[in-house]
Amino acid sequence: MLSIKKLHARVEETTILKGLDMEIKPGEVHAVMGPNGAGKSTLGYVLSGRDGYEVESGTVEFEGKDLLDMEVEERAQAGLFLAFQYPVEIPGVSNMEFMKESVNAMREGRGETPLSSAEFLKKAKAACKQVELPLDFLKRGVNEGFSGGEKKRNEIMQLILLEPKLAILDESDSGLDVDALQVVAKGVNSQRDGKRSFIVVTHYQRLLDYIEPDYVHILSNGKIVKSGGPELAKEVESSGYAWLKEGENA
Amino acid sequence: MSQWLAHVIDRAANVDDWLSPVRANALAELKQKDWPGRRTEAWRYTSLHKVADLNLATNSQQTAEAPLVDGLNSIDLVFVDGRLTTDIAALNLPAGVSVQSLETKNEAADKLFGKIKPEHHLFGLVNDVLAQQGVVIDIADAAEVDQPIRIVNVATDGIESHHRTLVRLGNNAKAKIIEHGVGNDHSLNTVFAEYDIGDNAKLEHYRLALHEGNAIHVGGSHFRLHNQSRLNSTLVGYGSQLTRLDVDIEHAGEHAFAKFNNIYLLAPNEHFDLHSTIEHAQPNGTTEENARGIIGDKAKAVFNGRIHIHRHAQKTLAELNNRNLLLTRGAQINTKPELEIYADDVQCAHGATVAEIDEEALYYLLTRGIDRQQALIMLNFGFVQELLFQMPNRALADWLHPILKQRFERMMEQR
Repeated sequence: MLSIKKLHARVEETTILKGLDMEIKPGEVHAVMGPNGAGKSTLGYVLSGRDGYEVESGTVEFEGKDLLDMEVEERAQAGLFLAFQYPVEIPGVSNMEFMKESVNAMREGRGETPLSSAEFLKKAKAACKQVELPLDFLKRGVNEGFSGGEKKRNEIMQLILLEPKLAILDESDSGLDVDALQVVAKGVNSQRDGKRSFIVVTHYQRLLDYIEPDYVHILSNGKIVKSGGPELAKEVESSGYAWLKEGENA
Repeated sequence: MSQWLAHVIDRAANVDDWLSPVRANALAELKQKDWPGRRTEAWRYTSLHKVADLNLATNSQQTAEAPLVDGLNSIDLVFVDGRLTTDIAALNLPAGVSVQSLETKNEAADKLFGKIKPEHHLFGLVNDVLAQQGVVIDIADAAEVDQPIRIVNVATDGIESHHRTLVRLGNNAKAKIIEHGVGNDHSLNTVFAEYDIGDNAKLEHYRLALHEGNAIHVGGSHFRLHNQSRLNSTLVGYGSQLTRLDVDIEHAGEHAFAKFNNIYLLAPNEHFDLHSTIEHAQPNGTTEENARGIIGDKAKAVFNGRIHIHRHAQKTLAELNNRNLLLTRGAQINTKPELEIYADDVQCAHGATVAEIDEEALYYLLTRGIDRQQALIMLNFGFVQELLFQMPNRALADWLHPILKQRFERMMEQR
């Protein structure tokens, strides 16, 4: 589904990704762990096509197509979803209006007819309940005045509504208490259908207790330095990331 | 003096009704006035050359329906070219509400006419001498009126008209008043309204100045707030050929609260000018004023927001914010917040900006598959929609929303 080869990317003058490789097949869940500054968030931004994140070299194929050649909205319509670590607040646009526009943009991209307001409302209410947000959150401005946890749940609500092929979750666990973490994880797990793939970016192993990955990659200094199964996350949990530095020195 | 103003003064001599003694003072004042030019501060960015030699008919037999607002369930008073077309006697008014025509001599009108509106507004004086029709609304002490009262002014082709609204809210009273103006043909219509809001009374107010095309609309809404009274006012304006509004809010009592939101949405070539003045004459008052405008190609907006805190008005909290979005290089805004503070223990903030698109918000919408053009529409419109969301009357907001959005989408197409 996603094939990243020797990806180098920079922000302004600083190269952040330095030869990243990753292969993701349909239905797989890949965890990307690493210390602060390793390039975890940059990976999500580069894949989604954010302005200012410049690819220096390397290739990314998404379902056989050149992802890097697509506009931000085309990538989304092709089935790529990024759940943000810090979702932006847009006070003047209602959550409902925003999600209806985006759901229908995706449907249009897939050649489906747009949902009517009533059809959309039904889906939105169900998704809102699923992430345990009060229904009035649909009427509020996008993320406006939401707490950190509510913003994360709002991201997962969008994941549920947009039905992407590949979802990148950028530290969806940061700032969450255990209850909120379980809600987020449950929402994500409900979307695991054997076809949809996930990249779960996280600093801590904690989230992976709830969203069990098939593969775990350690990202350090812009590269995957170690890959393995779920047991690798446990290793990080007990020994931290200090060993990376030792490895570099060795 | 312009030809038009000379003509106004001539016509004023022929106005003979129970308000004539009050009108005489205004006429004397008007005769002293110079015709505003570029050097007149209040008209610096708004030229009156389109008015200077206007010569429109003043008699109209037109009829018109009030725009239907779903779910508003308002008591409507409809004026066409300044002439009342609603049979007041046939209205089913809630308890505590009295509605009278300005033509009928009445005590309430006598206490309000020209008493709240400051004398310096040139067109206010014109309205003083020529507005023979209008409405006088009196809300009795402690009456809580939930049903909105809407005063609709329709201006039709080729007519000059003048309308006056006078409203008194008794102590502890509550009311919702909508001033709704429309018209898109060549016309001049002045509409001035004066509100006296009693102790602990609460007014929810809307002024919709939805004039378009060749209409010229000049008017004002003027409020006096007494102790502990509350005003929540929203003004929504288009530009038309020329729209000029003056709003004055006077804190004449202590602990009064005023929230004043303005939205202006100017189609290509329109001209909109809003001057607001907040007078904090007494201590412990609060004012929150937010003005947001989107200005289309070759349209021009003028915003002048003045806050005057008198020496005696300690513990005043006042905020004024004006944000503008110019859709093209040909769009123009002249914005000027003015603070005059003579008390030392106050909190006062103001700001005026010409906005750019929030790149982070745009990126967020794009990552959700929304195409760039649509995302720009959502974000740009979101800018004024935020104030629309704050309108307490949902029915009115829900009615305005698609109308404003369509207007905005056309503005985007005409870039």
